[in-house]
Amino acid sequence: MSQHYIVITGCGRLGSMLANRLSRDGESVVIIDRDESTFDNLTSEFSGFTIHGDATELEVLRQAKTERADYFLAVTSNDNVNLMIAQVAKLIFGVPLVLARVFDPAREDIYAQLGINVVCPARLSADIFLQTLKAAED
Amino acid sequence: MTDPKSKIIVVDDERNIRLTISYALEDANCEIDTAVNGEEALQKLREQSYALMLLDLRMPGMDGIDVLRYVADQYPDMRVVIITAHGTVQNAVEAMKLGAIEFIQKPFTPQEIRDVVANVLARESIERKPGLDYETHLELAKRLISARDLYAAMKETQAAIAIAPSRAEAFNLLGAIHELNGEPSQAKKHYRVALDLDPTFALARDNLARVSDRNRRFERPRL
Repeated sequence: MSQHYIVITGCGRLGSMLANRLSRDGESVVIIDRDESTFDNLTSEFSGFTIHGDATELEVLRQAKTERADYFLAVTSNDNVNLMIAQVAKLIFGVPLVLARVFDPAREDIYAQLGINVVCPARLSADIFLQTLKAAED
Repeated sequence: MTDPKSKIIVVDDERNIRLTISYALEDANCEIDTAVNGEEALQKLREQSYALMLLDLRMPGMDGIDVLRYVADQYPDMRVVIITAHGTVQNAVEAMKLGAIEFIQKPFTPQEIRDVVANVLARESIERKPGLDYETHLELAKRLISARDLYAAMKETQAAIAIAPSRAEAFNLLGAIHELNGEPSQAKKHYRVALDLDPTFALARDNLARVSDRNRRFERPRL
């Protein structure tokens, strides 16, 4: 099994779900959140590490050994924070694959120009809604 | 990694650490056993022998340093790697004096675990013979520190220095050995030589800063 080292920032609904699933699949996961109570979202499937701290601080990212990460997922509830952390992960720590969640579809292009891969829930939902409508028409 | 299958025991009260290490070493040529506390670890040691123990220093009940003391006394041939949390360095010097010179800091990557295990096991199989190179002398010296023979470790380090007097690593290691031997002024002298030879050598810089600062006495020398 080829195990990856994955750093996730934000342990809300999405972050914790990703952490639980990746951990269940045998990946080595570190999840960071400044609110310690969010770690309650992690299930018994999770066998990774938790770091209680603010991921916008370089020292916290260093503590997570971000420079060794194969993947970095910025999924806090704040677009600007995700963008900033994702850029730091990419430019300062040189993580090979960085993904950020972006709520505002209007910002997608800006992020793309900065070389950050983004996932926009609104756009994904819209795509699925439209596909479903189209399928119903056919 | 070394011959047939090396047996390794992971001693940690946290389930995630035991799992992460077991996963990481799954493909390595070794057999993994786990213990959830010091008492269980000692029980397992009585039943069979292990080449290596990965040990958390902070556990409820019998804590890691007690386990380490017992191991150093009863099973001097078994090597111990210490698992530490960020910022908890208390007891680290004592652990090194008891022969546990490798530390792995949480969170760790699977590769870090594999590397440290491979390094320690490879070090055990080095044969002492004439004509060894610089790096091998240093590895041997580290093995001798693990075996708590600081005098022989010093000799080995000096042999490395004789091969390449302008390289900094051996002076740093010599400093660390003096530090473990309770000779801080000698240690300081060697760290300074290492830093003079290579001003960018971070290990020596950290070591010199530490021995020069009384407030940081709990931190350990870096090898």
